[in-house]
Amino acid sequence: MSMRSQVYAWNGNSFAGAAPAAAAGDFVNTQAGIQTSIFIGGFGNNITKPAETTATEFVVIEDVACTPSLAADVATTTAGAALAVGQLAGWTVVAGTAMWGPRAYVQVRINTTDYFLNPDNVTNDGIPGTGSPYPRSLDFQPSFNLYPDVYVLPGQVWDVRYTAYCAATNWGTTVGNSLTNGNAHNAFCKYTLYDGPDALIANKLLEMGISINPGNVDWYKRSLLSAQGM
Amino acid sequence: MSMRSQVYEWANLATGGNSSLQRATTDTVVAVPANVSTDIFIGGIGNNITKPAETTATQFIVIEDISCSPYLAGSVQVRINTTDYFQNPDVTQMNGVPGLASPYPRGSPSGFTQAGAATTYNPDNLLKSFDLYPDVYVLPGQVFQILYTTVQGAPTQVVQAFVKYTLYDGPDALIANKLLELGVTINPNNVDWYKRSLIEQQTRSAVAATAAAAGGQA
Repeated sequence: MSMRSQVYAWNGNSFAGAAPAAAAGDFVNTQAGIQTSIFIGGFGNNITKPAETTATEFVVIEDVACTPSLAADVATTTAGAALAVGQLAGWTVVAGTAMWGPRAYVQVRINTTDYFLNPDNVTNDGIPGTGSPYPRSLDFQPSFNLYPDVYVLPGQVWDVRYTAYCAATNWGTTVGNSLTNGNAHNAFCKYTLYDGPDALIANKLLEMGISINPGNVDWYKRSLLSAQGM
Repeated sequence: MSMRSQVYEWANLATGGNSSLQRATTDTVVAVPANVSTDIFIGGIGNNITKPAETTATQFIVIEDISCSPYLAGSVQVRINTTDYFQNPDVTQMNGVPGLASPYPRGSPSGFTQAGAATTYNPDNLLKSFDLYPDVYVLPGQVFQILYTTVQGAPTQVVQAFVKYTLYDGPDALIANKLLELGVTINPNNVDWYKRSLIEQQTRSAVAATAAAAGGQA
């Protein structure tokens, strides 16, 4: 299998108890306002080493997303009331900011370069979870589609970095759906891993200015076979 | 990476004044006056950037989507240099695309009311009625603004605006200009198509030159 569709889902709340946690006390505070690697950031589920491609691998990142937020009225911040509809059921307001949810963003970094920039060419926090929500629901649908895709060439290190600007570090409750309620800091990355010969073909397509996707890799293979008279 | 998908999200939240360059956990609501168009980049309210949004001589921007909070009669307008993109049928000025037609976030309630300390959201999931197609082109050297206007004003409510665009830089910006001359829509697919056609043209020329050289020797 030399072309493989891959996902990485991250939950930033480290579980002190057995996962999934059942009580608010089981959640360890996620660091607010600080950009954190979802792979090796030290919060939530992590992997053993930085995400990188070998000399025979090519990665195409096709989607990044994180927990969405919803604007509210600052006058409600003292209410402490939980929402009761759809995906927002059980969410509690963030004190002092008039936002429901973590105000979360995800940035893609290749080696030392951030992908998403402001119009003044200064790096920003990345894609807002409100624009690219994870999980998606009737309440939160994407305004953003990562197209063109992001290519991670052989030998490059890549990272998906999560930032949340919730006022309180442990800001939610455990009421409701544990994946979508206020206690969750979720991030998601969908990518395709090309390995071996398919990574070579991906490089060739890149040289030719052709979008790298499984369909075009297959097309290139077919054209090679046709050239050989098969 | 010479074609990059980019977004900019604005909210009337800031720390230590009416605007700030960095988001912070201590951000508070900044009041947005009624019927005043606010530049989401450098308007002095909420999160801002360091200078007006503009393209350099080697950049080309294609704005693909704009949206804003649907409540408080919010609208969002695109301005290129001094020209507003959206206008009334009588060619007079307007506030732009209403948030009700292009909501941000998509699927969220269309509004909320506040009674006492509690907030009640409308029981609906708002979807977009508007698609920014054809896209808006920002040519090299142009300044562009995204202007948010609320008719009712937002003294305590958080309002947001969102813009999705693709930044073409370097050689890809030159190709984007070429496509514009040719009347071809500028998108990543067509830029790639133009690159491929250049490569094919070069290959054909090289083959013809080789054949001609071989013919000359014979």
